[in-house]
Amino acid sequence: MTHGDVFGLLAAGLVVLAVVRLLTAGDLVRRVIALNIASGGVLMVLVLVAAHSEPPDSVLHALALTGIVITVSVTGLALVLIRRIESPEHGEQPHDNEVPPDADHDDGPHDEHIQGAHGGGP
Amino acid sequence: MSEAAGVFDVVMVLGLLAVAAVALFHPRRLTAAAMFLVFGVLLAVVWAWLGAPDVAIAEAVLGAGVTGVLVMNAVTGNPMTAEETDRGRGRVTVRGYMLVAGILAAAVAVGLIGVLWDLAPATGTGTLVDRNVADSGVSHPVTAVLLNFRNYDTLLEIAVLAAAAVGALALRPPGTRMPQLRHDSGPLGAMVRLVVPVLALVLGWLLVAGSTRPGGAFQAGALLAGALLMLYLAGIGPTRRLQRWTGPVLLLGLAVFLALAAGTAAIGGGWLVLDADWAGPVIVALEAVLMISIGTTLAVLLMTMDQINSAARGLPGVPAWYSAERSGAGAALQDGENDAR
Repeated sequence: MTHGDVFGLLAAGLVVLAVVRLLTAGDLVRRVIALNIASGGVLMVLVLVAAHSEPPDSVLHALALTGIVITVSVTGLALVLIRRIESPEHGEQPHDNEVPPDADHDDGPHDEHIQGAHGGGP
Repeated sequence: MSEAAGVFDVVMVLGLLAVAAVALFHPRRLTAAAMFLVFGVLLAVVWAWLGAPDVAIAEAVLGAGVTGVLVMNAVTGNPMTAEETDRGRGRVTVRGYMLVAGILAAAVAVGLIGVLWDLAPATGTGTLVDRNVADSGVSHPVTAVLLNFRNYDTLLEIAVLAAAAVGALALRPPGTRMPQLRHDSGPLGAMVRLVVPVLALVLGWLLVAGSTRPGGAFQAGALLAGALLMLYLAGIGPTRRLQRWTGPVLLLGLAVFLALAAGTAAIGGGWLVLDADWAGPVIVALEAVLMISIGTTLAVLLMTMDQINSAARGLPGVPAWYSAERSGAGAALQDGENDAR
């Protein structure tokens, strides 16, 4: 087994683990982490292909760099979306002097947890 | 690349697989996020080891740095989600799903290995770049590809970044504002005052170094985001007047890039065709503008997350109705908020 083969197997292993998790996780943050790890595996294939020529293929390195930047943008937007989905007020703007609607329509067993978190305000 | 695998290879591979497995399968979110941070750092080391220094720097600052902060902030920012486990959120338990997912994942992996075997000897684009790099205006081949030979890719990449920032800003709950920042006079503030000037020096060097060696707008932009975030944590944020310029600065990179495309088309060379005579300075100038937009975009993503977090916790910076409703003390805090910085 050469240097490249070992990392090729690693790339495949990372993609398998991450894609399984991406398809089966219920937790939204976990899906974002899985997406990032899968993209790491895919970029590793690009970098390994690049390393086959001497000097390494700069087009593939540039592609990998672009891939990292796009992954960060997607991750940032996805996490902001998740944060909004999981935040209790669901973005509804109440009228003045009116109690904002509460988050009772979110996953039942967690309601007490949510209330507790709010009690600890400043 | 043909040498036999050494001890370091095996250790790195096993380490990365183990860290990835914990990040993916540990039931606690906080543990998963912390392991994901470690994964980014290890991955950066692997890129450097595989002879891709540009990718390694980008992974270290963007993949491990910015993404790590984003994920940690998403997980810890809200006390209610930090302890949350996967079991709490509609965990998929059906065996059939796991089986189908496994088969799909294996198919993807086989395809990837096929690509590795098939494409490996035959891409040849690298030699094409090396032959023409003298005409690109810069001597580092990766920068030549990003900003000259394949600058359409980079133009669209900047468009994606701008779209992400605008999307994140649009997703803020109604009434979210920049929190009232308090100047940190303790050790954190002192450290930030020490580190940020050094960071400014390093990012300037990274930007200019991109022409001749690994570095460039993306790495420098990510460092800029880090510097802006450190200032923000130490209570030094943009004034209200500066905040009005956030939108234009976010779109500045895209606008300048499009203007360059239109300009080169008007001169006659064609869309984004840079002439070897003046390509060098134009590329560095474009990179400087891109760096500012990239840095601001990433910083806006991070700060938006933080503002949504503090809004959910009823901290300063939230709409008054929110925390006033939860506790009387919140209202007092809100009063101080109107004094513009």
